[in-house]
Amino acid sequence: MSLSLDATQLDRYSRHIIMDEIGPEGQAALLDGRVLVVGAGGLGAPVIQYLAAAGVGTIGVVDDDTVERSNLQRQVIHADSDVGIPKVESAAAFVADLNPDITVETYETRLSKANAADIIPEYDLVVDASDNFPTRYLVNDVCRLAEIPVSHGAIYRFEGQVTTLVPEGPCYRCLFPEPPEPGTVPDCATTGVLGVLPGTVGCLQATEAVKLLLDTGEPLVGTMLCYDAMDLSVERVPYRARDDCPICGTDPIDSIAGIEYSGGCQVEDVGSDRAASQ
Amino acid sequence: MNVTVDVVGEGAREVTVDDGATYADLVEAVDRSPQEVSVLVDGSPVPEDQPVETDHVQVLRLIKGG
Repeated sequence: MSLSLDATQLDRYSRHIIMDEIGPEGQAALLDGRVLVVGAGGLGAPVIQYLAAAGVGTIGVVDDDTVERSNLQRQVIHADSDVGIPKVESAAAFVADLNPDITVETYETRLSKANAADIIPEYDLVVDASDNFPTRYLVNDVCRLAEIPVSHGAIYRFEGQVTTLVPEGPCYRCLFPEPPEPGTVPDCATTGVLGVLPGTVGCLQATEAVKLLLDTGEPLVGTMLCYDAMDLSVERVPYRARDDCPICGTDPIDSIAGIEYSGGCQVEDVGSDRAASQ
Repeated sequence: MNVTVDVVGEGAREVTVDDGATYADLVEAVDRSPQEVSVLVDGSPVPEDQPVETDHVQVLRLIKGG
């Protein structure tokens, strides 16, 4: 870790450095930090924005979409002039304009079984800002096998969910063993989503990411924080690690080779036994 | 039997079901589809085709949007 912050950095990050919980050592840790953001959409936009502003030195961005005008009601790092260009390109340009300290590593692709094990281990932690179940289960599984923490967030209409998955805590499958059948849970394009909602939820995810890099505070482990924008209520739902979880239980898998992420994300061989034993 | 079904974000409801009712029956009694939620007992999910063996559950919606 380099503690040699230059004069510009001392100025830029002065509101961090002045705090005992961060200080120059904490800021240096952020500058040395490497965070992968999966998805540069509603959740990814505020995550990328705040991680870059906070001085997280390397931000990886994975997304295979291009900016659409219907994104701009909530995806605050993309602008009208970005419509039609890859989101990773727009994200990188936004960050370059905001903070020249930051290196953005772009992956204009969908995170997949074929590439996840190559991309994810290059980072200290992952922020799951994806918009589909196969990616969410893939992120959980690969990160757990690689012992990399995940800041998880999801949104639906006026509701948001946030939790933090660390190697010593329960994983996403401990709470949601398998995704619903494809097509049974609607997406934002079908149901709509409050434009500011991903801002709130993404900022909570970014908060967890910064805390993990600083190794300070209490991460949201074993708790699903459920936010309702309609009445600004927050409910905390505790959940536990399961011994029979195929990813982090007492007899975990050692590879994702047997999981088909384009379908139900079931873990081959142990899936039926596990369901029967729950 | 009477079961308290706590639908996260909506509050708790008392549901009366027959002996032998499944967790899926509880979910449907609070107007949810078993496909879209996880039923939690003491912080762990239970299979929705299994008979109810508790007097309190939480129902948590599974969402994917980003």
